[in-house]
Amino acid sequence: MDKQTLKRLRFMLLFIITVFVVLSSRLAYMQVIQYEEYLRRAEENIFRKLPITAPRGSIYDRDGVELVTNRPGFSVSLLDLGNGYDAETIAYLSKLLEITEEEIWDKIYEQRYRRYLPVRLKNDVSFDIIAKISERRTDLVGVLIEAQPIRYYVNDHLAAHVLGRMGETDELSSEILKEWAEKGYEYRPGDVIGLAGLEMVWEPYLRGANGEQRVEINSIGQAIGYYEKLDPVPGSDLCLTVDFELQRETERVLADIVAGLQEEGNEYAKKAVAVALDPRSGAIRAMASYPAYNPNTFSRDFTELSQDPARPLINNAIAEYYPVGSTFKMLTGIAALEEGKLRPGERILDRGSLTRFNKTVRNYGSRAFGYIDIVRAFQVSSNVFFAELGARLGIDALAEYGRLFGFGSTTGLQDIRGERAGHVASRETKAKFHDDPWYPSETLDAAIGQGFHNITPLQLANYVAMIANEGIHYRPYLVEEVYDYKGGLVFKAEPEILNEVEISPQTWALIKEGMAQVMRPGGTAWYPFRDFPVAVAGKTGSAQVVALGGVNIPPHSLFVGFAPLEEPEIALAVLIEHGGIGADAAVPAAHGILSAYFGVENSTSTSPGADIEQETGD
Amino acid sequence: MLDRRLLKNFDLSLFLLTVAICAYGMVILNSATLSLEFPPLYFVKRQALWIGLGLVIMFFICLIDYINLANWSRYLYFFNIGLLLLVPFIGVERYGAQRWIPLGFFDLQPSEIAKLVIIISLGRLLAEREDFEHFADLFPTFIHVALPMGLIIYQPDLGTSLVFLVIMFGMLFMAGAQIRHLAAIAAVGVASLPLLFPLLEDYQKARLLVFINPDIDPLGVGYQILQSKIAIGSGGIAGKGLFAGSQAQRQFLPEQQTDFIFSVLGEELGLIGALLLFLLFALLIYRILRIASIAKDRFGFLICCGVAVMFTFQIVVNIGMTVGIMPVTGLPLPFISYGGSSMLLNLMAVGLVLNVGMRRHKIQF
Repeated sequence: MDKQTLKRLRFMLLFIITVFVVLSSRLAYMQVIQYEEYLRRAEENIFRKLPITAPRGSIYDRDGVELVTNRPGFSVSLLDLGNGYDAETIAYLSKLLEITEEEIWDKIYEQRYRRYLPVRLKNDVSFDIIAKISERRTDLVGVLIEAQPIRYYVNDHLAAHVLGRMGETDELSSEILKEWAEKGYEYRPGDVIGLAGLEMVWEPYLRGANGEQRVEINSIGQAIGYYEKLDPVPGSDLCLTVDFELQRETERVLADIVAGLQEEGNEYAKKAVAVALDPRSGAIRAMASYPAYNPNTFSRDFTELSQDPARPLINNAIAEYYPVGSTFKMLTGIAALEEGKLRPGERILDRGSLTRFNKTVRNYGSRAFGYIDIVRAFQVSSNVFFAELGARLGIDALAEYGRLFGFGSTTGLQDIRGERAGHVASRETKAKFHDDPWYPSETLDAAIGQGFHNITPLQLANYVAMIANEGIHYRPYLVEEVYDYKGGLVFKAEPEILNEVEISPQTWALIKEGMAQVMRPGGTAWYPFRDFPVAVAGKTGSAQVVALGGVNIPPHSLFVGFAPLEEPEIALAVLIEHGGIGADAAVPAAHGILSAYFGVENSTSTSPGADIEQETGD
Repeated sequence: MLDRRLLKNFDLSLFLLTVAICAYGMVILNSATLSLEFPPLYFVKRQALWIGLGLVIMFFICLIDYINLANWSRYLYFFNIGLLLLVPFIGVERYGAQRWIPLGFFDLQPSEIAKLVIIISLGRLLAEREDFEHFADLFPTFIHVALPMGLIIYQPDLGTSLVFLVIMFGMLFMAGAQIRHLAAIAAVGVASLPLLFPLLEDYQKARLLVFINPDIDPLGVGYQILQSKIAIGSGGIAGKGLFAGSQAQRQFLPEQQTDFIFSVLGEELGLIGALLLFLLFALLIYRILRIASIAKDRFGFLICCGVAVMFTFQIVVNIGMTVGIMPVTGLPLPFISYGGSSMLLNLMAVGLVLNVGMRRHKIQF
């Protein structure tokens, strides 16, 4: 090795040693001279990534009327500042927020794997509490007040069962949370999540994505500096098929009818349901289940709501089923005509009662109508006529037509959960509940809608819509469009045909004519509709309820119908529990609802029509 | 097997120093990854695997006379260029840069391999040339280094490309280039920095600006440096104790298993732990330079110098970054930072130096 190279090698060694000396000096300076300062900063200046809750998507009616939105609110959280949690602070918060200390510790424990995130203790706290916390800021260690959008249901009770409600993740079982997590939606304790109705099913669209911000926190948990921020992505907005005004009027009418019945001393009338949908698509225009609850105050009202015998938490439109009564008669008629058991125009002698298989079926008030055809039989709701058809058809044919029109299976509504299937009267249905075989006498009951049928109001509306559109079963739906926060269309509903029933045009014509006659002079639903400017087709029903302990309970009052008669755009099912016969409660209710839909003003009153002399009964 | 004289010349202290630093690194890595949401010992086990694999490769490197590498250097060089060219096509992207070729069990970083290849091939190039009378004599070296460096800048990986520049500079110096020429290069380089600035990526600009003025913080880089400084400074002389660093265990440090692993050491083991690491590093580099001084030929000498320069530069830049005297470049700390490619490369580099040391005398057959 030559001299120069050796020199350079020595120089390099020296240089490297110098570099290490510089680094060491720097370290010594930081760790010895500046030690106190850095230690203080390590203890006091703590950076946290604080989540920023994404504003949830709003929900609008079909015309853009805002139904659900967010309002500003605050939540209280607790932050681990590095030395665990302060027992005094927890004791104070427990009292202030009205949650037990155990609950607070539970929440902390739940979040043990993400210790560096704030533990959400309570959502939507009052300004009073915020003020109290702010006053004692320096005593309360690690208490964090976060701005958080709070779900706001603009019209309180309106469409509560459809819209649904929010709840905290604590209310959910860990399995459901795991299910969400598997789909990529992470929640932390205290997050709010859709727990019912559209809020639940459309959660993935509504929730958006939370953001986060790196915040410098001082020793008592106050933010003293804001660093890089990941903006939250707001949730998408739902535009519903529901018509706000129709929904509002439907709910008002149902409430009025129930109140009117109670005023008259009907102590059994407490609940009412109505479903209106577009028979051309399955779009639900109104779905009301009275009584409802207020999702804004749900958590406060929960105890009361859960004990209310009228069960306001249940969406009776899809989750409760009822006997169908005379609204079933169209099915009997269709089956008889299609199966050749009744010739079009054939007249049957109605003596007011019919005895077959050792059973006697009577008309309402035992009125006899003489020789009547099917159209007249609809108009007066003859039990004799349709029981005769039932006897000719037999239960199996009847049940088969029931199934074709959706009886005994869900309608396919997916936008909210909880739809029940009900039952169609059949040998199988009876076998589920009874040991005895099917008796032919029971076919007479089935043919006039009594007995083993059980159907939800949504199924009823779907059934009448299938008559209106002549055999097409559209999947009922509630969400028409979804827009992301930038206004881009992310979902658009397409009417979906689930089933098509082949029925001859002549049969449809007869059934529709019969339903039209129901609304005309001499028909069971004529009176309230006497001045109605739009031609309506309908059918009344009263579903007998088995009297408990021998008490005579008023039947459920039903009405199904569609309008306009020629080109139907709305199909409706109304049911007033224990409202009496159809004409007493359901018909005036339907009149009110259809008046709202067609913008008809006060053509007649919507008060119960009990005092009106009826030509016929049920 | 190995010749006895070869074994006799095996620099055991260099080997043991390397193993000691790796072991030290594993302890720190364990602490740095304790709070991460990974299965226990995930990083440590994988790192142990790389170290084991690296030591095996090191052993095989020692078997082959490094002289052969001089003959293969051209193939190695072009093979490496080929790998780097593949990166834009089949490379995976992470943190906004495309640097890795996925191999299934791990992602290969060709720019790491390139460091070693450039040391070998440049060693051969410079070994043949003793005369650096004219500035033009440096041109072949420039072209030789510029090609792989350009590809790495393109990825983009500014930090690694700087390593190439420094290796080149250091090896030219040791090969006997004129001081005035080297000074001119350095002067031009420093002077052209403001001109190059507009060509940088936004995050690179941010890092430099934050380095110049830590108060401005557009992308949270200031946060990283500040957290690292707080961690190290609050460690004091004796440290907060292993696994007890409040900054490290609460994940305030960014990339604390790779780029900022030294901050964990500084916080938990304090000045004493840091100086111990410096001592180990300094001894390691001293042993490498010592082998350089007794190498039997210019090629071996230059290889050792290149490795020493590479290690020193990476150590200084990485630790300098964590204590706030160097800009954030994302260079790993040799033998300590988590990462397969760099660990393998560093162990191979040590193997190469050991190889040079073992064959310092001409062997008679």
